[in-house]
Amino acid sequence: MATEAQQIAQRVPGEKSSFPALVLLVGWLIPGAGHLLVGKYIRAALLFASILGMYLVGLGLQGKIYTTSTGDILDILGFAGQIGLGLLYVLARVLGWGATTITITLGDYGTKFLVVGGLLNLISAVDAHSLANGRKKSL
Amino acid sequence: MLTHFSAVLLFSLFTSVVFGITQRAEPKMMIRFGAFCFAIFVGSTIVVSWLMFAIKH
Repeated sequence: MATEAQQIAQRVPGEKSSFPALVLLVGWLIPGAGHLLVGKYIRAALLFASILGMYLVGLGLQGKIYTTSTGDILDILGFAGQIGLGLLYVLARVLGWGATTITITLGDYGTKFLVVGGLLNLISAVDAHSLANGRKKSL
Repeated sequence: MLTHFSAVLLFSLFTSVVFGITQRAEPKMMIRFGAFCFAIFVGSTIVVSWLMFAIKH
């Protein structure tokens, strides 16, 4: 019987393939797309709807879109969370969506929606990666 | 415009869906864990809100 250390040392099925990395990248860029690639269509749709919902509510509440240009450590942390939104973040920056500063009370809530939406998208991209390389059981 | 409570409900719903899908492997357990997270999010918000109300008054 294999010990725990031996089990960890075993190569994960599919690890040599570049497919898991592709799933991770696509899952980060487009919410739920990683699950779509591994054939989990319902999960992909639910993740897409949830993360897009967080994004739209965040923008609707005039949440702040962070940039690194201010040099403020809190802004950099906010940026690190929001960059998890992938192309949605790029879209907001390019089209000028969201606020540059928080002007209303609910804007603070909106900012949290945007940051947490980014972090949730990172979690879902990593989950899709785990499904692709076999670390997580595919049921 | 969203009220504070409806913002809490939406935040809890979206977050619970992602937690349920990513933190469990079986579909049945995903639903259970998602529902659990949603209840904890909303329940703790209500409890903490009443606590803050009690402290203020």
